[in-house]
Amino acid sequence: MHSTPQQREGRLLLAPLVAFLIVFLSFPALVDIVYALSDVTFQTMRAPQIVGFRNFGVVLADPEFWAACWFSLRFGVLTAIIECGLGLALAIFLSPIVSRHGWTLALIMLPMMVAPSMVGLMYRLVLHEFAGPLPHYLTLWFGTSPAFLDANNAFWTLVVVEVLQWTPFAFLLFHVAYISIPAEIREAAAMDRATAWKILWRIELPMMKATIAIALGIRFIDGFRVFDNVFGLTGAGAGGSTMSLSIYIYQSFFKGGQIGQAVAASVLMFLASLVVLYGAAVLKAQLDRRRMAA
Amino acid sequence: MTTFRSLMAAGVAALLTTAALPGLASAEVTVLGWPGGSEETALRAAVEVYNALPNTADTDKVELLFFNRDGFYDKLQADLAAGSDAFDINLIATYSIGRYAPFMEPVDLGTDAEKVFGKPILETMQFEGKQYGVPTDLSLHFMYYRKDLIDALMADDAAKARYAEIAKKYLGKELAPKDPDQWNWDDWAATALYFTKAVNPDSPVRYGTVLQMKNLLFNMMVFQSLPRSYGADWTDASGKVTVDSKAYRTGLELYKKLYDAGATPKDSLSYEYPETNAAWTSGQIATALQWNAAAGELMNPDTAPAVAEDTAVVAPPSGPEGRKDHIHGLGLGLNKSSKHKEGAVRFLKWLASENAALAYAKAGGSPALAPDVVAKIAADRPDLVKLGEFAGAYGYVMNGATSAGALSVYEAQAKEFTAYWAGQKSLDEALAAATRTMTDLLKK
Repeated sequence: MHSTPQQREGRLLLAPLVAFLIVFLSFPALVDIVYALSDVTFQTMRAPQIVGFRNFGVVLADPEFWAACWFSLRFGVLTAIIECGLGLALAIFLSPIVSRHGWTLALIMLPMMVAPSMVGLMYRLVLHEFAGPLPHYLTLWFGTSPAFLDANNAFWTLVVVEVLQWTPFAFLLFHVAYISIPAEIREAAAMDRATAWKILWRIELPMMKATIAIALGIRFIDGFRVFDNVFGLTGAGAGGSTMSLSIYIYQSFFKGGQIGQAVAASVLMFLASLVVLYGAAVLKAQLDRRRMAA
Repeated sequence: MTTFRSLMAAGVAALLTTAALPGLASAEVTVLGWPGGSEETALRAAVEVYNALPNTADTDKVELLFFNRDGFYDKLQADLAAGSDAFDINLIATYSIGRYAPFMEPVDLGTDAEKVFGKPILETMQFEGKQYGVPTDLSLHFMYYRKDLIDALMADDAAKARYAEIAKKYLGKELAPKDPDQWNWDDWAATALYFTKAVNPDSPVRYGTVLQMKNLLFNMMVFQSLPRSYGADWTDASGKVTVDSKAYRTGLELYKKLYDAGATPKDSLSYEYPETNAAWTSGQIATALQWNAAAGELMNPDTAPAVAEDTAVVAPPSGPEGRKDHIHGLGLGLNKSSKHKEGAVRFLKWLASENAALAYAKAGGSPALAPDVVAKIAADRPDLVKLGEFAGAYGYVMNGATSAGALSVYEAQAKEFTAYWAGQKSLDEALAAATRTMTDLLKK
């Protein structure tokens, strides 16, 4: 079992990357595991006391943790579906314009250039009853303006803010996938008298299936772990009504000083992500097998 | 060619080193201050004075370090817990001393400090009887009101009758308009309701008040002077949590009554300091309980052209226990991990002297000074006279509000009280949850 010179060279070249991963990922992960199993505060960060799985029990029994999970799940699913739906529609309908005038793509991409925390601050201003343009014009035209950020409306306001910022990302992916479909395929379908709807439904969308799955996945992950813009706009919300899982972890860690519980919650979040990703990989493998068999 | 490049590199390095060294060599004490406001401006001015003193050694010169206000205390906590020596002196606040005390060292400011600030103000920087910092700025609340609106109300009999009618309907008692300096909380609430369009369509402004009801710890500090004037405290003498009290119930219910009646903007559950200022400067608000630091903005014709000239301030209204005004101090204390403790202590001692306090105040800071000291700067800073007067007469600190769990107590209250105001929890549920959390936090 002697390794070839190429293998040795490969290992040598990989060594810096492995060292980087060990230093920057393994060490924090190890500290995370120790803290998750410890009774630890800011005063005892260097001398944590191991308490087993107690922190996990406390977190799992905390109704706020489940409320935060539910918020993140709803937020992640809804924003991913809406962003991808809108992004797909825009990619298809604007394709002729964007293909002809490339600069319009830059214009559509603009919201993505703003840092999410800045978006939160920006909408605090935009939606303010006395300083914001939106309530001003609504009051001017209709005599009243809704309370965008009260406990009943904050969730939907946050969804709209997230969708406005990240639909361009989904649009970009779909635009690239859409223009990659060879023109000959569409021409051949048209010669066979396929309608535009049929071309879209039977040819274009199936060919964009992988991109749609990836876009939904990325947008769901981003929505699920949302922090910056929600924190900037509403914080945890009245009574914790806009507390995402990330905000729950942040609040427990920094505000509550419950480091063990906060880290345990983050470990649970990591494990849940792992299960979802593993499940998605298994599902994909099964679908591939079925397709091959067919 | 290689030799030439090496020489060039060495030359550039030497140039950079000579440019950087004077700054490093002359600044041995690093102070981490509160960024971005009058506190930063004042501290810069005071440090300039200190560094220019003939007896300030080069090794004692002070360099300032500022980072963003957002998450300041979280970052500071992480730095202190990690044993960072990137700064020798750091910011502390009354409500966070207990949390940071394990990572800081007490300082002896000398006997003159009490003559400059007075004992109660020095106590805002004490934890377990030890002095942890120099009180550089004091924060409390003013009741801001529109003089023009109140004067018009007081001069109009028909308006007075309408006022009494509204008070009877919403508060269950007939009240007559009063001078704001004589207000109790019911008078304030009646005034707020009278000046609310949703309650009184003839009101010249849209809302009678603007309440800061966001789930944010600082908003609890603004709110708690109301229950405090009814006798509220966090704990009794035995340490038992007493938040589920008649006093807290009265305060919480009054806020909810005003919110439900539309006397404060609909989005008040997302309002904090800047939103309140923006609402006030719009000219559509009649009264606001707000931090003293806002006075500079709200009473300045350049920043509040629509209302500055008609804006006046009094201490918060009274309750059965009299007038109460939350106070907390911002100050500077010594990092336990500092590598320049002697120089740092010398600067802190100077900062606690009369000359330093006057220089700090003159440059825009808000120190609470003893009466004979503040008299020396009253012509330049008349607001500081009122600050000292209110702090001395009405200032209070809740039991446990300097403990290690104080910040978390405010957080817990913010969460539970806003849940009640938003209608997500009943008052009983919110107070029971607050009691549970506070008991847990304050027993540690």
